[in-house]
Amino acid sequence: MKTYFTKIEGKSNGFYILLGILGVLAMAGLYSSYLMFTKGHYLTGMNNQVPWGLPIIITIYFIGLSAGSLVLSSLSSVFGKTEYKGFSRIAVYLAALLLVGALLSLGLDLGRPERIMLAFFYLNPQSIFSWNGFLYSSYILICVVYLWAMFKEKDKLVKAIGTLAVIWAIGVHSGTGGIFGFTSGRELYHSPLTPPSFVAAALSSGTGLTIILLVLTFKVTRRFLDPQLIFGLSRLLIAFILVVLYFLAVENLTRIYSPASYEATHFLLFSGNVYCLVFWVGLIFIGSIVPAIILFIKKSIGWIVFSSALVVFGVLCERFIIVIPGQVLPSELFPGYEVSSPFMDGAMGSYIISPLEIIQAVGVLAIIGILYILGLKFFAFLPEGKK
Amino acid sequence: MDRRTFLKIGAGVVATTAMGPLPQLVSCLQAKETKACAKNKWGMVIDVAKCVEGCTVCMDACRKENNVSAGNYWIRLATIKPKVPNAKSQPIPLLCNQCDDPFCVKVCLVKASFKRQDGIVLIDEHRCIGCRYCMIVCPYKSRSFVFKHYEEITNPDSPKRQHGVVEKCDFCVSRIDKGLMPACVEACPNKAMSFGNLNDPNSEVAKLVATGKAQRIRPDLGSKPKVYYLGL
Repeated sequence: MKTYFTKIEGKSNGFYILLGILGVLAMAGLYSSYLMFTKGHYLTGMNNQVPWGLPIIITIYFIGLSAGSLVLSSLSSVFGKTEYKGFSRIAVYLAALLLVGALLSLGLDLGRPERIMLAFFYLNPQSIFSWNGFLYSSYILICVVYLWAMFKEKDKLVKAIGTLAVIWAIGVHSGTGGIFGFTSGRELYHSPLTPPSFVAAALSSGTGLTIILLVLTFKVTRRFLDPQLIFGLSRLLIAFILVVLYFLAVENLTRIYSPASYEATHFLLFSGNVYCLVFWVGLIFIGSIVPAIILFIKKSIGWIVFSSALVVFGVLCERFIIVIPGQVLPSELFPGYEVSSPFMDGAMGSYIISPLEIIQAVGVLAIIGILYILGLKFFAFLPEGKK
Repeated sequence: MDRRTFLKIGAGVVATTAMGPLPQLVSCLQAKETKACAKNKWGMVIDVAKCVEGCTVCMDACRKENNVSAGNYWIRLATIKPKVPNAKSQPIPLLCNQCDDPFCVKVCLVKASFKRQDGIVLIDEHRCIGCRYCMIVCPYKSRSFVFKHYEEITNPDSPKRQHGVVEKCDFCVSRIDKGLMPACVEACPNKAMSFGNLNDPNSEVAKLVATGKAQRIRPDLGSKPKVYYLGL
C-alpha cells in the first residue's frame, strides 16, 4: 500500500487566528530576550550560584524531544515498520524544528548572543559543549536531507540517511547529557549514566509529544488516523517510561550508597524541599507511574493522549531536576567544615524562575508552533485524508 | 566595476584580513620574551593564621583595582569552622586558584578562557559569549557573571567589563606585568599573602611550598591549584 502525502489548505479562519496568537506570543518572547540582552541577566532568576536557569532547561528539553521524534521517524524508514510511514515526514520535520527551538533558547540565553558565531570559529576540542555546536548544526542539516530524500521517495537514500539520523540523534543527546555528566566538581551532575539516561528521557518524551501532535493534527485537519498506530506507539511509550525509571533508580541508588555522595542525594530525594516535590510528585508519580498504569489498563486514544501529556510534563520535571539542584547545592570546598562568606560559599543557593524567562520560553515554543503549522501548509507532510 | 578593479579590491580585502592577527602575533612573541614567560609560574601562599576575621582590606583593594561589578567577588573572605563541638572559626581568603589544569579553560566553547604561558588563567572579555559553562564547572566558585551594566569605575587604568560576560581574579595581571604585586597582596596589613614565581626555588612562595606545610583546596579534584594555604 502506497502512502500519499498532501499539504493542508491553511485558509480557514482558525488557521489564521492560531497563527496570530502564536505570533503575539513569539513577539513577547523575543521582547523578553531583547530586555535580557540590553539590560543584563539580573532581570532573570539566575545568580552567581545558579547561573543556569530555565533557558537551559528548555534547551535540553527540546533537544530531547527532537531526538525522540527523529528516532520514531526511523521506525518505518530504517526498521521497516511500514505501518508507521504515515507520520515519518512530520516526525522528521518536528525533530528539526525542536532543535531549532533548542538552539534559539540557548542562543538567547547567552550573555553576548551577538557573538554566537564565535562558537564556530574557535572550536575547542576539549569542550563537549563545543562538540555539541557541531553536532547540533549538522543534525539540522541531516534532517533537511532526510526530508528531501523522503519527498523524492528515494527509499534507499531514506534508509541510509535515516540510519545516520538515528545515530546522530543519539550522539546529539548523549553529548548534551555529557555537558552535565562530565562536570566532575558537582556531585549531582557528575555521572557516566547521564548521557544514556538523557537518551531514554528523549525517547519517552519524544514519543509522548509525537502521539499528542499526531492525534491533534489529524483531528484538526480531519484526517483518518489508524488507532493501531497510536496503540503501537503507546506500547513503546510504556517501555521508554520503564527505562527512564530504571536509570533513575540505578543512578540514585549508587549515589546514596556511597557516603561521599550521600548528603547530596539525600538533599535531592528526602530533604523535603521543592526539588523533592518535583522529583517524587512531578517526575515519578505524575510523570511516570500514573501514565504507565493508565497505558497498561486503558486502550483508548483519549487516555493515551492524556498519559502522553503526563509523560511530556514528567520529563520537563526531570530536566529541572537535572539542571537546578546540582547548582543550588554548594560545592564542598572544605569537607568537614562549615563555610560561610559574603559570596554565599557553603550556603544553599536559590533560583526562582522569573516571568521574563517564562515569557521567553513560551515565545520560543510559539516560534516552533508557527513553523510547524506553516510547514503543514507549504509542504506535503501529512498522509492523504481518507474520505 | 570591471574585473581588474574587482580583483584588486578582493586581493586587498584578503590581505588585510590576513594581516589582522599580525600585530597580535607580534605582541605575543614579545610577551614571550618579557612578562608572560613560560619560565615563570606565578603562585600565591596565604598564611591564614595572620588573617583577621571581619577584615575587608584585600576585598576592598581588589574591588578598587579591578572595577569588580557590584555583588561579584574576585576575592572574598570566607569563614570556616570544623564540624566538631567547640571548634574555633578561621577566616580564609578565597580567590581564583589559577589551576594548572583548569576545568574552565577545558570547557570554554570559544577558548575565551585561556592559560597564559606563565600559568595565569585569563578571560578574553571580547570573546566570551556568556554561556556560563565555566561557572558550572569551576569547583572553587571563583567566577562571577556580570549581571548588570554598571557605570562606576574606581580604576580608569583597569578594563571595564560589559554585562553578559564572566569575570574572575586574574592575579592582577597588569600589575604583575609592571613588576608590581597583586593588589590584595600589597594591601594586606598583616602580610598574610605572599606572591611569586613557583619555578624559582629562591622565591618566598617556592620556599614556603617546599616546607610541605602549604595545602591547597581540594587538590583531589585534580585541577592543580596554584594558590596555597598555611595554617589550615
